[in-house]
Amino acid sequence: MNNAVLSVRDLQITFGTRDGRASVVNGVSYDLAAGETLAIVGESGSGKSVSCMALMQLLATPPARVEGEAIFDGRNLLTLDEAGIRKVRGNQIAMIFQDPMTSLNPVRTIGHQLIEPIELHMGLKGKAARERAADLLDAVGIPSAADRLDDYPHQFSGGMRQRVCIAMGISCEPDILIADEATTALDVTTQAKIIDEIHALQSRLGMALVWITHDLGVVAGIADRVIVLYGGRIMEEAAVNELFEGRRHPYTRGLLESLPIPGRERPDKLNAIAGLPPDPLSMPPACPFAPRCPHAVERCSTERPELRHPVPGHAVACHFDPEELYD
Amino acid sequence: MTDPAAVLDAGDPPVEHRSRLRTTVETVLRNRLAVAGLIMLTVLVVVALFAPLIAPYGINEPDVANRLSGPSLDHVFGTDNIGRDVFSRVVIASRVSLQVGAISVGIAVALGVPIGLISGYYGGRIDSVLMRLMDILLSIPAIVLAIAILAALGPNIFNAMVAIGIVYTPIFARITRGSVLSLRDAVFVRAARSIGATDTRIIATHILPNVIAPIIVQTSLSLAFAILAEAALSFLGLGVQPPDPAWGRMLSEGRGFFQQAPWMALFPGLAILFTVMSFNLVGDGLRDALDPQQRSLIESRGVAE
Repeated sequence: MNNAVLSVRDLQITFGTRDGRASVVNGVSYDLAAGETLAIVGESGSGKSVSCMALMQLLATPPARVEGEAIFDGRNLLTLDEAGIRKVRGNQIAMIFQDPMTSLNPVRTIGHQLIEPIELHMGLKGKAARERAADLLDAVGIPSAADRLDDYPHQFSGGMRQRVCIAMGISCEPDILIADEATTALDVTTQAKIIDEIHALQSRLGMALVWITHDLGVVAGIADRVIVLYGGRIMEEAAVNELFEGRRHPYTRGLLESLPIPGRERPDKLNAIAGLPPDPLSMPPACPFAPRCPHAVERCSTERPELRHPVPGHAVACHFDPEELYD
Repeated sequence: MTDPAAVLDAGDPPVEHRSRLRTTVETVLRNRLAVAGLIMLTVLVVVALFAPLIAPYGINEPDVANRLSGPSLDHVFGTDNIGRDVFSRVVIASRVSLQVGAISVGIAVALGVPIGLISGYYGGRIDSVLMRLMDILLSIPAIVLAIAILAALGPNIFNAMVAIGIVYTPIFARITRGSVLSLRDAVFVRAARSIGATDTRIIATHILPNVIAPIIVQTSLSLAFAILAEAALSFLGLGVQPPDPAWGRMLSEGRGFFQQAPWMALFPGLAILFTVMSFNLVGDGLRDALDPQQRSLIESRGVAE
């Protein structure tokens, strides 16, 4: 893709632990187009958060070791020096974290915290910075924004705090906004509103959005394209409609089937995928999903399935054609 | 028409706009012992500030005819072995005690807090080296260490402040480091990094304000210890040099006359008690208000023992 703002190639992340090297991300490659919404889906430990933190050099190295390339703006983010990456952070790539209760400093006012990235990257000071901060709060839907700048985080509800975090994220009009489980800690109505808010801001500012989540319902509502991660590898990558309607990797299928379906006979019984995610200290050598896959054959645990493109724009890492499996 | 969802979401309970400072002050004022401590401290500061006006006699003004005389209307605290007015000397000496307390604790904070911040934030080898250094300082009994430092620097009041400051540095370093450790991986610190803040900025604007409460509490308690340490050093002849008065010195001078003139040692001793107690009461009150967790920790330990 030529209009990619971010090209990740063969990203590998390992962590040194007492028991050896844990490989958390094993060769992930993708492109992110300008203005697009990419959802990265996977269960806990699939490497989705870590792979995005690595892009901003937010992992402590050591214990982490990051290899591969992430080309942004003609430069490799993974090898930028400290001063270089600081100019990217918050300015060109911004991040929203999962828990709005802990991602704001409890002893500083919202205004102070909002003004911080504005001062750091936009060179605004004093009154101008404050005005910009008030505009931002207003943009994320906080009533009487200018008056609330002097409030502390504990004076805001969870949804409001996440709006503040979003305001911080978009304060320098980044090219990419990474939302790491940004709505997971919120109740469903607030979640829906926050998603709408981010969506609106995205189209207004033309930024690309990377939405990290394990919630497929959110994915269906927001994403253009979906990457399904499992055991630090891409299992499937497809446009969102393709993924929900078209051919599927057995893992993706398992994920979708584990969702509760309203109106089904026993909605309290969910079809969980049997087994546990692979141990990053001893990754299966071939397909990471093979030990849990209902369709696995011998080949699956000896030979790694490469990402294939059965149809253009849809990639699957499986030895089988989905059609063979689900007829 | 208002959007019902918007109403739901805007259902932020109206929060009282009470600052942390105000709640702290209110909690302290509700604590009777802390208020008593505050009053005592105020008296002390006023006495120290206006000492020359309050003292009826000069500190080295002998009234030889009335030497070793007991408390009377002329000499409320009595006179010492060369006829100097004990009250005047106790009052004037309050200045040096408070000064030593403030400056030496100031030195300890100025050295200890940055060491703790750096140690806790960066961790790893820097942390190990700094903390082992602090452990070495802590492993030597405070007064012995202070005497050793004074022996090297020479006994005078300025060096005593430096010595006491160095002795209390590890306490501040450890308290700060402990609090920083729990914050280093906090999401808001990561969030600050994710917007491009430098380490210095993160430490100064995000970490320091969050660890200030235990530091304030420790400062107030350390003031009491520092004043005691100064008294001990002066008692040993390593602090304030004669003929200037200091409570510790007066204790040691009064020691020889304890049977004939107990007031010579009694009143400076009471002054030390008064001062240390006022700082401790205020410190406890501040801890209750600012750092209740630490308090319950200490109290539960007291019960267990």
